[in-house]
Amino acid sequence: MSVLKRLSKSKYFNTVLWIVILIIVWEIGATVVAATKRSPENILPHLSGIIESVVSKDTINGSQTAVQMVLENAKATISRALVGFGIGTALGFVLALFMSRFKTVEKIAFPYLMIIQMIPILGMAPLIFAITQDISKSRIIIAAILTFYPVATNTLAGFKAVEKEKHELMISYAASKFQLYTKTMIPSCIPYFFTGLKISAPMAITASILVDTLQGGIGLGCLLSQALKGAMSRYVFWQIVFLSAFIGIFSFLLMGIIEYILCPYKRKGNKQEE
Amino acid sequence: MKKRAFTTITALGLTAVMLAGCGSSSSSGDTAKNDNTAEETTDSSAEMTDEERIISAAQEGKVGNWGLGNEYEIQALLTKYGQSTDYLVEDFTMDGFDDDSITLASAMTYNELGLVKNDYEGGYGYGDSVGIIDMNDEGVAMLEDNLFCTKEFAEANPNTVKAFVAASLKGWEYACENPEEAAQIVYEAGSSVSSDHQAYMASEVKKLVETDMNGNTVTEIGKMDEDAMQQTLDLAKQYIKLDDSAAAAKLQTLTLDDIRDTSYWEAATAGDFGTPEKTDIKVQMKWLPQCQFMGYYVAKAKGFYDEVGLNVDIISGGGDIGETTAVQNGTVDFGVTWVSNLISADAAGMDLVEVAQIYQRSGLVLVYKK
Amino acid sequence: MSEKALKRKKIDFNSVSSVLYPVLFGILIFVLWECGVLNTVLKTDTNILPAPTRIAGIMSENSSKISENLSATMTVIIWGLIAGSFLGYMAAVFATRFPNFGKGALTVLSVFNAIPIVALAPVFNNWTKDVSSEASVRSTVAKILVVTVVCAASMSINAYRGLTELKPFSLDLMKSYAADNMTVFKKLRFHNSIPYIFTALKVSVPSSVITALVSEYFAEYRMGIGRQIRDNISIAQYSAGWAYIAVACLIGILMYIILIIFEGIFTKRHRK
Repeated sequence: MSVLKRLSKSKYFNTVLWIVILIIVWEIGATVVAATKRSPENILPHLSGIIESVVSKDTINGSQTAVQMVLENAKATISRALVGFGIGTALGFVLALFMSRFKTVEKIAFPYLMIIQMIPILGMAPLIFAITQDISKSRIIIAAILTFYPVATNTLAGFKAVEKEKHELMISYAASKFQLYTKTMIPSCIPYFFTGLKISAPMAITASILVDTLQGGIGLGCLLSQALKGAMSRYVFWQIVFLSAFIGIFSFLLMGIIEYILCPYKRKGNKQEE
Repeated sequence: MKKRAFTTITALGLTAVMLAGCGSSSSSGDTAKNDNTAEETTDSSAEMTDEERIISAAQEGKVGNWGLGNEYEIQALLTKYGQSTDYLVEDFTMDGFDDDSITLASAMTYNELGLVKNDYEGGYGYGDSVGIIDMNDEGVAMLEDNLFCTKEFAEANPNTVKAFVAASLKGWEYACENPEEAAQIVYEAGSSVSSDHQAYMASEVKKLVETDMNGNTVTEIGKMDEDAMQQTLDLAKQYIKLDDSAAAAKLQTLTLDDIRDTSYWEAATAGDFGTPEKTDIKVQMKWLPQCQFMGYYVAKAKGFYDEVGLNVDIISGGGDIGETTAVQNGTVDFGVTWVSNLISADAAGMDLVEVAQIYQRSGLVLVYKK
Repeated sequence: MSEKALKRKKIDFNSVSSVLYPVLFGILIFVLWECGVLNTVLKTDTNILPAPTRIAGIMSENSSKISENLSATMTVIIWGLIAGSFLGYMAAVFATRFPNFGKGALTVLSVFNAIPIVALAPVFNNWTKDVSSEASVRSTVAKILVVTVVCAASMSINAYRGLTELKPFSLDLMKSYAADNMTVFKKLRFHNSIPYIFTALKVSVPSSVITALVSEYFAEYRMGIGRQIRDNISIAQYSAGWAYIAVACLIGILMYIILIIFEGIFTKRHRK
């Protein structure tokens, strides 16, 4: 108990320390920029300026303040990212399962999974757009496509990493394929699965923001490009940069928390290291 | 333990600094040098002619444009003065102009120029310390914002096209008569651009709609002027460079009749059309919601579309899926694009036709610091 | 001896089939695509999805322009990948060495990774304006930095796993030998992390390609495969756009194959 307490305490302290370091580095940069550039807020504004813009009550588009606008757009993006992430994760896991179960599937599918990742969204988007005839469906599908690959690769790696002995032991117990998967393969690939999730959760967010820019409408990506292109306070852009980083980190941490709750052995592992 | 941690941080930090560019040490020298040259040019540039300005910026490689089909007028201008057609890419902000990495920057009179001059939200506040080179004066102007659909759609729904053109023109007419009200309408229709900038934009767009390339007043909004269209097509054939040889060959064979059809506009202005075949209409703008498209927003807000029996949905653009693609694949019915973009899309095998030409002159200028 | 031969035979069959199957599948897709079946299935005309032979034709027509753009893009990808992976691995080593404090380094990296490329690219453009007075140089640096950031995070997470998730008791064994940290790293952690490095690279190779392409969209200097893709697609030149997309895919595939070969070599050596 006391070990856990100490750990949480020091972790908290360390996080704060890192935040402080980052703030100092940022502020030094901002001070230099402010002294040398004509429009410092476009290059590297002081954090105080960004915070000011967050609490500012000035309306940007008549009805909303900067932060209200950012949050409204963030809601749209996050909900699309969530759906895309859900679909992508399910797809990635099922594919990994298939690939580990049927070697042939792996051999056929794996190279193409990678190739699909390589096709720039710009080329893919008009195709998907033409199929769905709906920009918001296209956005979700593209977000899913961009997120399923890390899940699939990592989970597959997890299946492969199941130690031979365990595998053989199960077979010697005359375990059925189903049992083999539920008792050995799936539990032991969970850490890998979560590694995949930790990579793809922030990716789902960034992908969702990226696909926002495919067409106008509501979404963080749309607002981001508007903030750059239009007559809008550049602080809106900076708010989005920070918010998206925050959401990304939060999604990463969330996966860690879920893993922590679901996988008791991880906790044991950590203690051993101590 | 902690001391060690910090030494490691410093080591990491050093690596990061090294990664961030070995140039940083020499860069201070570079900037200093740049500042000097900038000052020198500002002193002498007062007497510089536009030609000298263009030539010097081109030779320093500091002419900017956005590319993506917006560059042809600039390339024509550079060719006119015997320069290479290379340009730096403006990333849709005017930061490059602001920090002097671009000395001759492309700007639309109604948008970027306003941001450079004015000091409202998002503006750079240069006021009258900047000058412009106008494409219309230089004789390299190409027509910009039009209204188009696919030939197939126009043939299948002639009354819808005529009705839509008629109501849109009415919207444009109203907007040009009442630019301030139009700005307010666009602002309320979901613009995220400040109302000051919308008002500026409305007043500038009005000029483009009501004045032709030679500076004469245009009374018939949306008409397709033969000479201006021809000039646009000729310049397009010369400066649109296509990697696909089939498309490049097709580009050279295009005539005005392939890219525009005046009959819909004529019928629309005469009020000569029946019940629309299709009543639920989507129209895709070329860019973000702003007064560049005020006519459509006004027509919708004032109920002009309802009057002709159309239910119109305005889709804002500014994304990577172009308006030509969206119209071609049927996700929207009409689009607003630049004539040159329509020409290149048709060259690639699309089936698009212009039904009205809203802007009568080029809104593109090159802006420089005096 | 016979067992060895059997094993070799198995490996042969494995390696043959792992090339043959995807190739056969590829040929099937190619035929469907060329005959327009794919267009019908995807409900798109040949404008937006042209036939592969047409794409190949455009590629051969423009080979010199393509190779010029290709080398610019490759520079960005390779340097970004190297810098990012190195940085990520270093962060993981750091986090292993100082578990409490160092984990923050991983978080910092993932903070940057969580910022979308579309936001990073303009920021890095502005930040690198003073790197050089040559637009081509500074814009290359900006692009490399974006790729670096993207590659660092996936490497750091995976490498950290590899450095810390050791076989049970192996660390105790090392400790009982009174091995110092450096020895533990050399003999145990580093070897343990090799497969994880490759797992990380399998994610970061494709994403470095994509990131390089996207950062080129925003770059100041007009060069690179990504820039050509965007230029062509925004003026509705899908055939030419697909030619450059095909090049981008080829880059990814080739890099992936090279990666697999390296993985084979390194993990084999590691097993010995």
